[in-house]
Amino acid sequence: MAMKIAKKMKITKKKVMKIFVKSVWVFNWFNSCGFTELVPVVGSRWDMERFGLVAVNSPRKADALFIAGYQTHKSMKRAQQIYEQMSNPKFVFALGSCTMTGGMYWDSYNTVKRIEDYVPVFMYIPGCPPRPEAIFDAVHKVIVHVDELPDE
Amino acid sequence: MMSAKDKQSKNKVVEEKLLEDLNSKLSASVQCQKTRRLFVLIDPDQLVDTCTKAYESGFEHLSTIAATDWLEEGKIELTYHLWSYSHNHLLTIKTKIDRKKPKISSINSIWGGNAETCERECHELFGVKFKGNLNLTPLFLEDWEGPPPFLKDFNWREYVKKEDYDQSNPREKVYFEVKK
Repeated sequence: MAMKIAKKMKITKKKVMKIFVKSVWVFNWFNSCGFTELVPVVGSRWDMERFGLVAVNSPRKADALFIAGYQTHKSMKRAQQIYEQMSNPKFVFALGSCTMTGGMYWDSYNTVKRIEDYVPVFMYIPGCPPRPEAIFDAVHKVIVHVDELPDE
Repeated sequence: MMSAKDKQSKNKVVEEKLLEDLNSKLSASVQCQKTRRLFVLIDPDQLVDTCTKAYESGFEHLSTIAATDWLEEGKIELTYHLWSYSHNHLLTIKTKIDRKKPKISSINSIWGGNAETCERECHELFGVKFKGNLNLTPLFLEDWEGPPPFLKDFNWREYVKKEDYDQSNPREKVYFEVKK
């Protein structure tokens, strides 16, 4: 029924996404050095707020979830809870090499080796740590992604 | 105004007196290896007795319990760090227990919850069983089914290869080529 109404009113995924995704609000889930290395993104030199990126204090307000640093099995559970609390549309960014392969903790007994096994990752940002410019570029790609959606 | 030399000699006198006191009270040979750092080696079955006496003689703060795994010797060494606010001295009680049956009596009758937390950590990471501690639930690890991870004979690399990686996956093949 809802689909029929949507079809009649010509509501598409792209149109909805265009309304919601304008400035990307971010919820940070940072472990270990992931936090300290990405503080400059908030600071005055790179200043993420000039691009409309705001670090929010509740996952319910966030469009994007930044996961940085190695994740343990324990912290991954909390990350999943945070992901479930976020409202659609939502995007997960995995920052740094630790989230991709485990990084230098590849042989640790209690770290997560691939984040995509636990939460759907929209984009990996490589680097140890990633440059602030890379983060801005990645967030810009969310808007590009919405633009590129088929309007049907 | 007291000169530095006088102060040092006075401190030495105080320390020697404290050493003598502890030697007679704990009925063990307390050694002073550094200024304000006292060591005592005891048998595991003397632990509660020694700790009680140390508590009564002013060492009322349990800083931490540390465990060391001596693989060749076949022993696990437990180190109890006690601090005294009245003497400003650190007393280290060391005891060695068998590695195959790591059992020792709990000291939560003296330090309560503080000792309980320290013992939970030792139990989780080294597999030491503390008799008398009823709450030996995991402290840090969640859903852990492997052996105690801090033991020297736990080969974490083999464990990780078995649990997390797949040799037939070309992306993960490289991990199996890493030598020990």
